[in-house]
Amino acid sequence: MVRDVAFGQYFPGKSLIHKLDPRAKILLLIGFLVIIFCTFNYFSLLLVTLFTALMILSSGVPAKFYFKSLKVIIFILVITSVLNLFYGTGTPIWQWGIIKLTVNGINRAVFVTIRIICLILASSCLTFTTSPTELTDAIERLMKPLNKIHFPVHEIAMMMSLALRFVPTLLEETDKIMSAQKARGADMESGNIIKRVKALMPVLIPLFVSAFRRAYEIATAMECRCYRGGSGRTKMKSIHMSKRDAFSFIALAAIICGVILCNIFIPAVI
Amino acid sequence: MNFISLENVVFSYTDDENVKSEKNAVDGVSLNIKKGEFVALLGHNGCGKSTIAKHLNAMLLPDSGRVLIDGDDTSDEDKTYDIRKKVGLVLQNPDNQLVASIVEEDVAFGPENLGIPPQEIRERVDYALKAVGMYDYREHAPYKLSGGQKQRVAIAGILAMLPECIVLDEPTAMLDPNGRDEVLSTLLKLNKEKNITVVLITHYMDEAVLADRVVVMDSGKILTQGTPDQVFSQVELLKKHRLDVPQSTELANKLCGCGVKIDKMPLDTEACVKMLEEVLK
Ligand SMILES: Nc1ncnc2c1ncn2[C@@H]1O[C@H](COP(=O)(O)OP(=O)(O)OP(=O)(O)O)[C@@H](O)[C@H]1O
Ligand SMILES: [Mg+2]
Repeated sequence: MVRDVAFGQYFPGKSLIHKLDPRAKILLLIGFLVIIFCTFNYFSLLLVTLFTALMILSSGVPAKFYFKSLKVIIFILVITSVLNLFYGTGTPIWQWGIIKLTVNGINRAVFVTIRIICLILASSCLTFTTSPTELTDAIERLMKPLNKIHFPVHEIAMMMSLALRFVPTLLEETDKIMSAQKARGADMESGNIIKRVKALMPVLIPLFVSAFRRAYEIATAMECRCYRGGSGRTKMKSIHMSKRDAFSFIALAAIICGVILCNIFIPAVI
Repeated sequence: MNFISLENVVFSYTDDENVKSEKNAVDGVSLNIKKGEFVALLGHNGCGKSTIAKHLNAMLLPDSGRVLIDGDDTSDEDKTYDIRKKVGLVLQNPDNQLVASIVEEDVAFGPENLGIPPQEIRERVDYALKAVGMYDYREHAPYKLSGGQKQRVAIAGILAMLPECIVLDEPTAMLDPNGRDEVLSTLLKLNKEKNITVVLITHYMDEAVLADRVVVMDSGKILTQGTPDQVFSQVELLKKHRLDVPQSTELANKLCGCGVKIDKMPLDTEACVKMLEEVLK
């Protein structure tokens, strides 16, 4: 049940996107997310959508996992698009009491929906094709300059990678504790919201206790394996930029130029 | 010279209020282990085996007495890192020992900490994963492995650090007979070919029989020690302390009880068959 969450999973592979430098991937994603929200007409929106589709196809990860990651946010998606639908400006084309539908509203709803979908798909593409270690490694390297102001870059990166490693384990544990409590007659699926929150306490308390004990054991195991922080550490998979990464930056630059040109020459619709 | 030397080690755990528990988990243990020796540590639940194991790589420091590893005192903080480099400890619970999200990256964690160059880490990781038969799983996520598979990866993680001594806390508890044989033969091979010192904590008498020396513990103390032959011939003593002996020895002992004369206690099936042939002649 809880383990169905596809977001944050990694699928090993050999696709072009898998082979990109994780640092490049992070920077590309940030650039792309910014450009997603700079689309103001349908041409630029189409451009961004096509680019997202291209990313997904070349990642070599089965499409069903992308759908899974969309499923998680479907609720947010529906709410935001409905809200946008009825908050448009301009002359209404249909009205019922205070609820009015405008062309601007419809456009807004379409834009918000597609933008959010692209955002989730692009982010999933990063996490699907990059192992958590690579990801945190890249973040560590990108934030390295912050070391100068005594920001604990390595520690933060290590914490992130441990968190990512133990998310599935803790989810599994939650499942187990819930089953155990149910077996003892706990009722977690009926009653009003207060009742349900109360019913969660017997799950949360053992979960926290075991998480702390686990953290202690993990620290012991890390010490046993000579961990002493970031200094003097090497990496098995050293990351380096290559021609491929340069090409991907050029592709992003092309998209940015395309969107900007569209914005200049075609009137905005929202 | 002794590679590991425990001199009258006493240790008790402190509880949450920082009060020492009255019962000593380890109560005056002296033990010497030579380089290249294969030692099995036996004893029933809670007798202090894991506590001893954690003393061997300075995870725990004795309350009194001292532990020397290759001549270095574990209480010397400057030496802690060198000691952990020499003595690799595989803990009892594999679940919390795997720290990376991919098997091969987890095995690389130790060598990375040691500052080994990337190319060499790659070789060591492949070697260690092949040694425990988990090479095909190198790109899997640890949480998708079974308990026994996790255990093997945890062992690989220590092997990749190429320690001079490996201490394993019940490494085979979660393995099926096949897996147990594989892990044991790996350990024996490392011990014989690379002269790596092995300290194996186990509940399986059939594993203890393979060791050069067997040390039996009971409530924080060493009850008896010696070659498997010597130790397992003391069937009565072991029984009194709720410990098993290998099945073959058990059978021989029962025969002895019925008045059959047996010169040498058999330790494994083969020896047992020979003994029975002799007896039946
Ligand atoms: N973290 C701890 N805090 C307090 N007491 C502990 C702790 N760990 C172990 N003990 C106590 O110390 C004693 C020895 O424990 P130890 O874990 O060394 O036993 P063991 O021989 O490894 O047992 P097992 O075969 O079950 O693994 C036990 O009586 C146990 O209750
Ligand atoms: Mg133990």
